[in-house]
Amino acid sequence: MTGTTVEVRPTEEALLQYELRTQVVEPQRSTFSYLEKRLGDKPATRYEEGSIGIQPKENFHYRPLWAPDHEIYGADWSAVRLSDPDDFRDPRHYYYAPYVANRAELHDAFGKTLDYLEQRGLLMRLPDDWRSLLAEVVLPLRHYESGAQLLTVLGSRFAEGSTVSQCCTYAAFDRVGNAQLLSRVGIVLADGSDELLKAAKQSWRDDEGLQGLRRLVEELLLEPDWAVSLLALDLLDRAVYAVVYRHLDEAALLGGAGAYSLVVQHLSSWFADQRRWLDALYQAWLSDPAHAEANRALLAQVVATRLPQVQEAVTQLARGIDARVGAGAVGAADAALAALREELAAQGLLGTEATA
Amino acid sequence: MSNARKLSMKNRYSALTRDLDWTPTYVDPKAVFPFTSFEGIKIHDWSKWEDPFRLTVDSYYKYQAEKDKRLYAVLDGFAQSQGHLSLTDARYLNAMKLFIQGVTPLEYAAHRHFAFLSRYYDGPGPRFAAQCQSVDELRHTQTEVHTLSNYNKYYGGMHNWPEQFDRVWYLSVPKSYFEDAMSAGPFEFLIAISFSFEYLLTNLLFVPFMSGASFNGDLPTMTFGFSAQSDESRHMTLGLEAIKFLLEQDEANVPIVQAWIDKWFWRGYRLVALIAQMLDYMLPRKVMSWKESFELYFEEQMLGGLFPDLEFYGITKPRHVEQAIGEKDLLSHQVYWALYQFSFAAGFTTTVPEDDHLDWLSANYPDTFDKYFRPLWDKAKKVQDEGGRVFFRGLPQLCQVCQIPMLFTEPGDPMRLAQRQVVHNGERYDFCSDGCQWIFEREPEKYVQAWLPVHQIYQGNCGGPSVPEVLAWYGLQDGDAGEYAGSVDQQNWERWHDHAGKADVEAPVEAEVRA
Repeated sequence: MTGTTVEVRPTEEALLQYELRTQVVEPQRSTFSYLEKRLGDKPATRYEEGSIGIQPKENFHYRPLWAPDHEIYGADWSAVRLSDPDDFRDPRHYYYAPYVANRAELHDAFGKTLDYLEQRGLLMRLPDDWRSLLAEVVLPLRHYESGAQLLTVLGSRFAEGSTVSQCCTYAAFDRVGNAQLLSRVGIVLADGSDELLKAAKQSWRDDEGLQGLRRLVEELLLEPDWAVSLLALDLLDRAVYAVVYRHLDEAALLGGAGAYSLVVQHLSSWFADQRRWLDALYQAWLSDPAHAEANRALLAQVVATRLPQVQEAVTQLARGIDARVGAGAVGAADAALAALREELAAQGLLGTEATA
Repeated sequence: MSNARKLSMKNRYSALTRDLDWTPTYVDPKAVFPFTSFEGIKIHDWSKWEDPFRLTVDSYYKYQAEKDKRLYAVLDGFAQSQGHLSLTDARYLNAMKLFIQGVTPLEYAAHRHFAFLSRYYDGPGPRFAAQCQSVDELRHTQTEVHTLSNYNKYYGGMHNWPEQFDRVWYLSVPKSYFEDAMSAGPFEFLIAISFSFEYLLTNLLFVPFMSGASFNGDLPTMTFGFSAQSDESRHMTLGLEAIKFLLEQDEANVPIVQAWIDKWFWRGYRLVALIAQMLDYMLPRKVMSWKESFELYFEEQMLGGLFPDLEFYGITKPRHVEQAIGEKDLLSHQVYWALYQFSFAAGFTTTVPEDDHLDWLSANYPDTFDKYFRPLWDKAKKVQDEGGRVFFRGLPQLCQVCQIPMLFTEPGDPMRLAQRQVVHNGERYDFCSDGCQWIFEREPEKYVQAWLPVHQIYQGNCGGPSVPEVLAWYGLQDGDAGEYAGSVDQQNWERWHDHAGKADVEAPVEAEVRA
């Protein structure tokens, strides 16, 4: 059909190359016309073709029975606005294929770590204090991750614009993945049974150190605004991840609990990836040509309301940690909150209430 | 610890999914999950939900990443080798234009709304299943776009699909269908989409496109179809588990579910009218007739196989099903004849079937084709031979519910147009059938809201009062719409094939942007 010929041409270059001749058919257009309008007359990437401008925008037929004040989609599902949501880009350029490829690697690497720990019995040989910390404080965080899925998937449904919603979708699914990573550690630690998972659920319900966290997650589940929910969860995540997966990682290495470090490195690397799209979204919200100031005021209000609750929850968590392992978690939580305040102040999101 | 009982696969899966749930105590759980009671469905025990599949997140990523790697390798190879030139004919792509305009947006809608279920079901088992399906549906949206992206570069009709889904008249049929489900409660959505769309009608809806692709040299779409198969089978089992679960939870659920089956059967059946014409008219190489497909996949498999099983729960065959059966010799012909006349305002082209195609239709529809439809095509061909083209001047009346032009005929009388009317709050509403009228009368407050494209055009909301203004508002380019013979696609196709075997083909016919 194509009249393909293969010519082997000697060249003076070190590397011989053959020249394939193929039928050339000039394309009619570089990409979809709605993308050409936005991006110019050039081939679009798979990220762009798979992500931008896909959500319906107008001419909706019926109001939701469960929310008659709204259309099926719309900017009014959040008070935080972007003039042109289709302008937002995930800096990771994740569409489904690279997303699952990346996460397949993460889970594969985690699986290998877990196999290694299991084969050498390294989790069983954790020092007692670290072992109880892992079982009683860290394993229950699988429920925290599960709550984070609920909080994030709200944006998957309601965020305006397919590029923003897509990030929320992957982030929500990630949280189930994280919950399963932690659960698998629990199963190995309990020699293949779910004893420790059951105990961890009890701790999530009752353990004093975890109650601030659980209370805040439950209260956030009543928040109908997906963007507010996302930011509030992220404030909490930034403090929790800093203490549990970064600070304790270092403390574990010093405390002879290398297995702990091997496990949590995977959660830290996930969180670094998670930050990339969230920071880009904040940047978009806070530099929007029309809505930047209104967004800043709104987000600052969320910070003012939620940051003290975050501080309380994470301090409580850190006390629970220090009660089991002398790891200086309370100090780490203070440092994490101070760093968080600094970042928020730099973004103009820190009002007077939160600094008090 | 050493004598601890190891988890069975089932319990391990449970520990990794539904056991992640807990009941809130700091806030009212009903406030966390506020939407699961207003439809009247009673759930007593979510733990009775049988997970329809057991795929942990790590295995999910692994399998899906492997599948995508294979799919994208095929897409790349096809693009590099100008594989589009080996289709049966450029006409075939009309089926794919309809697909990207009308089906891909439904994948996307499913993606967004399964996220809703994944947030708002108070049962953790179906919540996780919905989360998986939401991500799957995003996959299907994107793999379809990427599969058809290469064709879009060479052929008309595909380039403005998301905007057209929001605006173009015949696309309000699938759009209103899915928005009907999204605007309903979470249980009705599950019956509408997981059961009715993904299970009851999937072989009539989705599969014909994939089979059509395989018969017409469309390797990428066929590969996509195979690649989506394992996802779809998870979605189908979810639909079946959903209905079983709702029916088993409380007897009071049975009449509610029955009414939803009745509604969503007819809603879905009207939607697949667009597929019926595709099967019989748009594929240069035929897979099977619509009638054969309907008899096999619906009458035999569903009415003969599924419904006898559902009888156990007190579920009967869908209301108005006899009328659907009565239409099987007519449906595709009536719809394509309408599209033929209105394709000046569509994102695809139509043409008079060639002689051997007409003979195939006669052979497959011995009772109706020669009697009612062949004479129409003979007339249209005569007009076309004389240099004309039969187009309908004016705009059609649309059914208030399914939004298809009022082209269907009275049960038992293929010569008389069916027309039903209801006056509601002093306004008159028109329907194509008893089924659509019945659906309206159940929820008039919902269907009076419908954004009916023809009404909107007359109200001046679609770019302007004239046809060219409306077509510009649709974002149509020259070559997207109208007659296939002599179209940009057809001319390019001829040109590219005249030169087959020669390298470096000359530049194609340039399409001008109309807007």
